[in-house]
Amino acid sequence: MTSPLIDSYVAGLHRRLPAALAEEAAGGLTETYEHHLAAGAGEQEAARAALAEFGDLTTVAGEFTRQAPGRSAARLLLATGPVAGGCWAAALVLGRAWTWPVPAAARLSFGAVLLVAVLALLAAATSRHSYQRTRLAAAASPAILALDAAAVTAALAAAPALTPALGTAVAASLGRIAVTARMLPRLAAR
Amino acid sequence: MRAEAQLLKGHLDTLLLASLEDGPRHGYAVKQALRAAGGATFDLPTGTIYPALRRLEAAGLVTGTWTEDGGRRRRSYALTPAGRRRLAGDRAGWRDFASAVTAILEPAR
Repeated sequence: MTSPLIDSYVAGLHRRLPAALAEEAAGGLTETYEHHLAAGAGEQEAARAALAEFGDLTTVAGEFTRQAPGRSAARLLLATGPVAGGCWAAALVLGRAWTWPVPAAARLSFGAVLLVAVLALLAAATSRHSYQRTRLAAAASPAILALDAAAVTAALAAAPALTPALGTAVAASLGRIAVTARMLPRLAAR
Repeated sequence: MRAEAQLLKGHLDTLLLASLEDGPRHGYAVKQALRAAGGATFDLPTGTIYPALRRLEAAGLVTGTWTEDGGRRRRSYALTPAGRRRLAGDRAGWRDFASAVTAILEPAR
């Protein structure tokens, strides 16, 4: 018991959304359609009524995208980023970090990974219709976690002394590592 | 969007929690419960109920589990203790708000 109109909508859900989300929404649409069939509507009429009730694909997929775990994770990381970044900037300037024995290649690759990760998070955080785009956060979040860990390790190894400013920056990064690590399983799941 | 639809969207989370108060329901049953209680006033695209339930799940207010019934797989949602507390708070807030608005719009003559 199905109709080409319903089938093409369901195919659209599966194209745009992770399988479990698409399956759940498709089940609801099919039930609505069957409800109209049982009430005596013809196949076409039942399909049209069910689709009108359900809402168009852009609206439904858009609502799923707005609640995507990747989108909220990206927003959280972007919101806390400037705080951690500010702490590190203060600690590095006060500690005259340019004199520390950290290889230039390491500094450069840190900067490059940070830039790419932030761009990926921005894309995930601002996605309104593409669920796929919110999944960039699943790749960017472990990178951010690794960057925080690398910053802490490098600073503790290379800094001549643990100043209060450096301690604050390390604490900020450790806090972010804890928060990011807690989000990762949910991001990986979808 | 009609004014009622706008208002409804603002209270959708509370209404969804309320529809789960008497026991677990799957998305389609939640939709039917809202429709039965609110009639045509609750005329929102029913497809948006599913992402809203996922949002409540992510917030820890409901838990979802797949169930199988007569060959049909559905995701069933139940209130968590946090969801019950939220519902109680929302309900008390709504009563205060509604009685204040009623007092202004319909003053005793």
